[in-house]
Amino acid sequence: MHEDDELLATHLQELRRGTVVLACLLVLQEANYGYALLDLLERRGFAVDANTLYPLLRRLEKQGLLTSDWNTDESRPRKFYRTSERGAAFAEFLGRDWAELDAAFRTLKGES
Amino acid sequence: MTLTDRYVAAALRRLPERQRPDIERELRASIADAVDDRLAAGDDPAEAEVAVLTELGDPARLAAGYADRPLQLIGPALYLDYVRLLTALLATVVPAVAAIIALVRTLQGDPVPEVVGDALKSAFTAGVHLVCWTTLLFAAIERAPALRRTRKWTPDALPEPPSRKARYGELISGTVLTVLFSTLILISPVVSPERDTAGNPIGPLSPWLWESGVLYLFLALVLATLGVTFARYYTRWSLPLAITGALVEIATAITLIWLAANDRVLNPAFVAAAGWPAQTPEWITTGLIALSVVTLLHTVTTSLKGSHGESHRL
Repeated sequence: MHEDDELLATHLQELRRGTVVLACLLVLQEANYGYALLDLLERRGFAVDANTLYPLLRRLEKQGLLTSDWNTDESRPRKFYRTSERGAAFAEFLGRDWAELDAAFRTLKGES
Repeated sequence: MTLTDRYVAAALRRLPERQRPDIERELRASIADAVDDRLAAGDDPAEAEVAVLTELGDPARLAAGYADRPLQLIGPALYLDYVRLLTALLATVVPAVAAIIALVRTLQGDPVPEVVGDALKSAFTAGVHLVCWTTLLFAAIERAPALRRTRKWTPDALPEPPSRKARYGELISGTVLTVLFSTLILISPVVSPERDTAGNPIGPLSPWLWESGVLYLFLALVLATLGVTFARYYTRWSLPLAITGALVEIATAITLIWLAANDRVLNPAFVAAAGWPAQTPEWITTGLIALSVVTLLHTVTTSLKGSHGESHRL
């Protein structure tokens, strides 16, 4: 049984790899900062590790899919990320692909 | 210095200077947010910090994520090329070094245990160098995406299946040639067309070859080559066999080069008796050296190709 759990976890991880990017691009249409985003994504069903998410946000920013701003209004300065126009276009495309995959799975399962 | 300070310092140390201030600020805020959350949930302050940092994991891993650095020495894109090159180098250079050192030491008249020890030591050193530098080279390419140019694999790279019939022909001709060649050499002092004043035959090959026993060493190598040919025909390809084959061929070629270079092949008395022009022995010597060099190159290139093909099959 334990072996099954491990195998399942591996396949789940493979399946979910990449979905965090789309989730970030969608959820960051509204500006947010690292730690709050971690919490928000978990509540929305996209559990991700902090040490994966923080570098990912910077990578997406470097790729021009996110923009960032330091908010120093509060006592603790926080870096806020927001999906750029290019990021929104990517999210649109990736989301469509996800929907197509979903439809394809349904067809495979005979639901059509 | 708090635990967080030490954690942040450990992560930043592995990042480029210009990225540090921004990442430090963000990382500290993220850690503080997470600690606050745990405190609000009623955690002990010290425990909260430890828990947050534990969850963030190894700072080196986090830094690699920020810097987009690979967490592997040689990745899957390069690994096969790395193994192929390394196998080819090890299978050719190491035996060649051992053979050359053994030959040089033998010629210097060193005792056998010393010769063997030196040859093994040199082979080991050569192997360590090859592994070290090849690995470093590939690790560097892994880290410089501009240098990475992976060739697309095509079925052309598949090793050709050797036709058994063709190889059987090779086997027969190889056996006949080896037997003829060895016999000719062995009987050459007796059947020579040239005679000295006493009417005894003058062998065309230097008598030194018999006196020193080098002739028997050479013939042993020739026979070993034939043995390898047989083994190749009757057994499957294996690395030890390939290495033995390359080793024997290299040793034969080097012995011949050394004999020719030191004018140990022809019998000067025979050359004089036959009345050959002065250049003829020189031409023969040069020809033998050229032939041996070609054999050497052929051995090295086929070894490279062989290991290349085998790793495809694995």
